[in-house]
Amino acid sequence: MSRIGVFVCHCGENIARTVDCEAVAEALREHPGVAVAEDYKYMCSDPGQALVKKAIEDNNLTGVVIAACSPHMHEKTFRRACDQAGLNQFMCEMANVREHCSWIHDDRGQATDKAIDITRTIVEKVKHNRPLESIHIPVTKRALVIGGGIAGIQAALDIADGGHEVVLIEKEASIGGHMSQLSETFPTLDCSQCILTPRMVEAYQHPNIKLHTWSEVEKVDGYIGNFEVTIRKKARSVNEDLCNGCGDCQAACPAKRIPSEFEAGLGKRTAIYVPFPQAVPNIPVLDRVNCTLFKGRRKGLAKDVCGKCKEACLKAAIDFDTEDTFVTEAVGAIVVATGFKLYDIGRDQPEGLKGYGEYGYGEVPDVIDGLQFERLASASGPTEGAILRPSDGKEPKTVVFVHCVGSRDPEKGISYCSKICCMYNAKHAMLYKHKVHDGRAIAFYMDIRAGGKGYDEFSRRAIEEDGAEYVRGRVSRIFRDGDVVKVWGYDTLSGEQVVIDADMVVLATAMRPQDGIRELAQKLSVSTDEHGFINEAHPKLRPVETNTAGVFVAGACQAPRDIPEAVAMASATGAKVLGLFSADELEREPAVAVVDENTCIGCMRCELVCPYGAIEQREICTVDGHVCGHVAYVNPGVCQGCGTCQAVCLSKSVELQTFTDEQIFSEINALCYWE
Amino acid sequence: MSDAIDTSGAAADGFEPRITAFVCNWCTYTGADLAGTSRLHMASNVRIIRLPCTGRIDPLFIIKAFERGADGVIVSGCHPADCHYTSGNYHARRRFAVFHDIMEFIGVDPRRMTFSWVSASEGSKWRDVVNEAVTNVRALGPFEAYRALAPKDVGVAAPAGPGAVAAPASAGIKAEAS
Amino acid sequence: MNELHELARTLLTDGTVRVIIGWEDARRGARPAFITDPADTDKLIFDTRCVHNLVTYLNPRRDNVAELGKIGLVVKGCDAKAVAGLLREAQLNRDDIVLIGVRCGGVLEESELAEAVALSAENVAPRCFGCDNREPKLVDHLLGEAQPEPPRPIMTIDERVEALEARPLEERWAFWTEQFSKCVRCYACRQVCPLCVCERCVAEKTRPQWIDSSAHPRGNMSWNITRALHLAGRCVDCGECERFCPVGIPLSLVNRKLQQIVSERYGYTVSDDPENAAPIGDYRLDDKQEFIK
Repeated sequence: MSRIGVFVCHCGENIARTVDCEAVAEALREHPGVAVAEDYKYMCSDPGQALVKKAIEDNNLTGVVIAACSPHMHEKTFRRACDQAGLNQFMCEMANVREHCSWIHDDRGQATDKAIDITRTIVEKVKHNRPLESIHIPVTKRALVIGGGIAGIQAALDIADGGHEVVLIEKEASIGGHMSQLSETFPTLDCSQCILTPRMVEAYQHPNIKLHTWSEVEKVDGYIGNFEVTIRKKARSVNEDLCNGCGDCQAACPAKRIPSEFEAGLGKRTAIYVPFPQAVPNIPVLDRVNCTLFKGRRKGLAKDVCGKCKEACLKAAIDFDTEDTFVTEAVGAIVVATGFKLYDIGRDQPEGLKGYGEYGYGEVPDVIDGLQFERLASASGPTEGAILRPSDGKEPKTVVFVHCVGSRDPEKGISYCSKICCMYNAKHAMLYKHKVHDGRAIAFYMDIRAGGKGYDEFSRRAIEEDGAEYVRGRVSRIFRDGDVVKVWGYDTLSGEQVVIDADMVVLATAMRPQDGIRELAQKLSVSTDEHGFINEAHPKLRPVETNTAGVFVAGACQAPRDIPEAVAMASATGAKVLGLFSADELEREPAVAVVDENTCIGCMRCELVCPYGAIEQREICTVDGHVCGHVAYVNPGVCQGCGTCQAVCLSKSVELQTFTDEQIFSEINALCYWE
Repeated sequence: MSDAIDTSGAAADGFEPRITAFVCNWCTYTGADLAGTSRLHMASNVRIIRLPCTGRIDPLFIIKAFERGADGVIVSGCHPADCHYTSGNYHARRRFAVFHDIMEFIGVDPRRMTFSWVSASEGSKWRDVVNEAVTNVRALGPFEAYRALAPKDVGVAAPAGPGAVAAPASAGIKAEAS
Repeated sequence: MNELHELARTLLTDGTVRVIIGWEDARRGARPAFITDPADTDKLIFDTRCVHNLVTYLNPRRDNVAELGKIGLVVKGCDAKAVAGLLREAQLNRDDIVLIGVRCGGVLEESELAEAVALSAENVAPRCFGCDNREPKLVDHLLGEAQPEPPRPIMTIDERVEALEARPLEERWAFWTEQFSKCVRCYACRQVCPLCVCERCVAEKTRPQWIDSSAHPRGNMSWNITRALHLAGRCVDCGECERFCPVGIPLSLVNRKLQQIVSERYGYTVSDDPENAAPIGDYRLDDKQEFIK
């Protein structure tokens, strides 16, 4: 027998003006199962709450209905009050007679009758509420950070400094990411390597950070607090424990003409290599695609044709027969920081992108992208910092910088702004002018977007102090004409066509998410937007969380980001992870679905519709222990309580606690007062 | 649509429809809250049942509402791409589509079933959805056809007269005194 | 026919299966047969009287069938679609059954005939017209010769659906309430349906009871709507529900309407490819939503 207390709030005059609150209490007093019904001026006030608590104790109530404002406003308040009075908080519900009644109606009679209906409905629901206890989930206090760029390094350091172990994985041979390729950084023009390298070393040497380079995520199982991640350590051919980074193997390698990824193709490397001198760890990898020995093996030669690196290695660290290995790491939280790649406009375009064949990238050697310019400008780059054009090594006297190549061009497939290009173009123009005093730097731009601390001042400086010439307009065609690179453009301010005989052209190509991001997102059960950037849980209020609890996102894999933003996001994920790790158990509301194993037939329709991958097939056994079938199982740690599984279940064998069929049935029954 | 409720369209017998609304907690319920906070006045014939997501809404709920004497139903949730649970509304949309089409095939006037997407910021859209549903169902009259299916031994206390909507629930509720 | 007998004999003799479920000739026409003895395989037949969808015996909850051991099942195209449905919903292991497909050129409306007769517009099961699976693909063995298209019935199901839809709403409501009011809630439609495999049907659920269990128009309406919704995108159109209905409710019209809905809205056709995901449980961002405000 239910003993329900109904408490009707006047909300000052907000409800009482149109709803006769006394009449509502009066009507509910007569309702079956209602033990006490009272009205009060402000139910959410301390005396109001005290009234509820006293009524619970005096009448030994089994349920409470507060007829007042929206549950979004005060459900927590009243549930807490019930809890304090010894009534399970999930036995308390709110009847919304303010937002859904008194505020939207004039007629006092109609509003009062509707308020009575609403309250009765909730009383009928509460009769079927069950006391529920919060769900406690153990938390493994270790984090996985995917991606060893500046965002990943920062996130790893913050979590490690907070006292928890971090597994940092990087698909390349070294951590450092794109930041390690940059010459100077805007808006301060400080040397990128100089500020990054200490961070890389710190991450490598940190006692709480376990680093896997040349590694990728193979599989992710589990859920918040309890992930199990399988990492593929790609065959390196070099024993990381034995190698001392002496470099003898690189010197011995005969394949020396391989375009260096780190130098953006402007420099060469050997087949066994460390990507750059400051690499962390300073342990080479063997590029089996380009290695003479492996080329021979692929041809099926009986005998290995090379092996010079192995001969040169005094530590005997080189082994040509290693294979990919797998390690499994148990972690409680995952930070995705896989960064970006540049829109590779010279190559085959992925679906939906049209490319920029008219800009001659990939055909005209002196048309380069922003990262290539960074390498030209870098003191550690292929030209040791001298600006020399790739085709003939001459110093270019006229350099054209083209903004928005790919970005903000829905026609070509990318609608978004890549955000950093305005700034790095200004930086490039500046660096060029600092090195080639008599040169001309001409930039074609659409708009200059320089929002950020010191950013606008910086881009103005490029124009006003360093004399970069900015032309507002687009470039229609770039092609080689003898010794020069012809640039056809249009100056929208003067309304004239512009033709420039340039010596070199730098294209500010769009930022795109890294290759493989969609596959990774799928493994992590997080969603991506139409471009492949990882979706945050809320664009304003939960910018570093994803829809999968326990998976966070930092840096340019979420959207184009510059360094300070990527670092800020990384530290934000650090705070989120440390918050998660601050308790031994995670407490969650029990609004989760539960399967009735007696009637479930394991058709797994529920699994198909679960947005969180919370449902899995589970074997059931007879009493004597042999498997006799399977049923669906909802992992309460992952379930977010949407109830979609219940709606598609044909036999109604899964039930969302807090919104059970019985509760809803009772509400419908109470609402349609007929029969 | 004006704030004033036009009751002049009421049928001669003063019929006022009873409409049950199944709405998701995150968008439409919050949108209806916003309508309240914005004091957007609307017809008082609609009673809301809150659910976490449109994905939770089983077509049986709608059948049950008709069985229990609802003259119309509203089903409303987050717009596509806005679902709090990412994809609950997409799954719901398919089920509702099949339900809508099959009910129409069986001979239920689709105007008795309003499906809508109302976001948390669309208080005025919610008002319009409510008023339009009420106007439509009022014009269609009571859903006697469905009520006539009831076993004959059950009381057929069809509400009558003005303010039927507001008739105290005690007029018919057989509350379970559990 | 010999190839069916031989194959069945081989499968039973070499122990590949323990029982062959097919059809046999009996006093009242064709009927399901459970052959466990290799000597009995000559009893097996396949002709236009073999209307039964034997996949209903694969329901994992039919213990008495399961006890017979590994099953070899003779399937027509529509039956194979039902097997695919069970595989899709994890109710079967493909390895646990041997499927003997038979090429089918349509069946009669009626199985209870002493001898197989040729199909004509008058006697063909209307659902067979326009069949897209006369040669089942989900099979281990495929028997028989290629069959011609079944004859066009006097009135096709699509035409009947169309004719009904041309009538005003009130008349449709009157038609269906009359039809459903005949329902005696024997649940034969459910028992014979190869895809109704629940341990406990929603119609039998209490706490809460969603569907009135006694046979009156209101409960009958909920039951029939529920049955229809549960089969959306799953019904293989084998026609067994209607054939078994003791009061003659034209369930094939509802079933066909469902097929039309999922086909028009989602371009989905029920096939015998178990990998072909069902439309309910799946979605596309741009699904039609003209009915939503």
